[in-house]
Amino acid sequence: MMYLYEWVVENKEFLKIFYALVIGLICAIITIESHRLFKLSFHQGIRYFRNAFLFYGLAFVTRYLVGNVFLYMGIKEYCFITRIAFEFFLIMAGFFLLYSLLWKRFEGEKNYRSSLFNLPIMIFYLMTIIIINLDYTWNKYAFMFFSQFVIFSIASLISYNNYIKNKGKHKFLKFYFLAIVLSFIGWLLNFLLVIWIGWSQGILMNIYGLNIIIFLLFLYGVIKITRRK
Amino acid sequence: MVVKKRERLEIIRDILKVIRGSRAIKPTRLLYASNLSPQMFKDYINELLDKKFIEFKEDKDGKKEFSLMKKGQEFLEKYKIIEEFVGGFGL
Repeated sequence: MMYLYEWVVENKEFLKIFYALVIGLICAIITIESHRLFKLSFHQGIRYFRNAFLFYGLAFVTRYLVGNVFLYMGIKEYCFITRIAFEFFLIMAGFFLLYSLLWKRFEGEKNYRSSLFNLPIMIFYLMTIIIINLDYTWNKYAFMFFSQFVIFSIASLISYNNYIKNKGKHKFLKFYFLAIVLSFIGWLLNFLLVIWIGWSQGILMNIYGLNIIIFLLFLYGVIKITRRK
Repeated sequence: MVVKKRERLEIIRDILKVIRGSRAIKPTRLLYASNLSPQMFKDYINELLDKKFIEFKEDKDGKKEFSLMKKGQEFLEKYKIIEEFVGGFGL
């Protein structure tokens, strides 16, 4: 066990690239599959769900792939840009996922032309910029983690409510609820780490593992539904 | 008995099913079969025409008919998947 831990810490940069590739690939598949269904149904919820995974993919690829490329090239000033881009994409992805559960209450039959530039999404952009500024001022990811903790606590309540109301009609709802609760736990751990404990490579690797499980759960749902005959 | 209001996707499915069932259908017959108000019917039909789910033809004698296009057919084939996706993710 100790040997494994040492190996993980020694190869952490390589593992981060592998991690970004896996999550990037999962997000790409989910984005493509949900985009296909959106093009056929023009359902706003599917549209926001697709945007969430597009932004998650962009966040992880920017942070761990592009960021590492800049690091190896020795251009550290660009790492700052990738950090901001990562934070922007990740926070917006959380907002998109939450909004995919809430859009009906706000939009009804409105059907905005764009899912990237409409009033509710503009408010999310504004909130994201404020969060990034706060993190930049405090030089921590604390506000980002806290925002995700709040987003996923609301999403957990909504998905639990959906699961209870559904009465077993849609089987994936329980997995979706599980994925959202695991995300909530992941963000809570991140938040606690950055506030009280500080970064530990061991715990961080466990969080990476948890993230892969969460994204695999979403992928499982998407594939299971879209590949059915 | 409380009758559940149809969702947007269900309304689209119902309209397309009626058109598929009769291959080509007159606007007034489709309006009655869709069970919508004339204004809502107009909105949905315009959307379906716009998205190329259905087409509107008028022959030399002035006979007007709606018929299903490839995309409308595909929507009906994938309707169960769309419904399961929306329900499964609580969208």
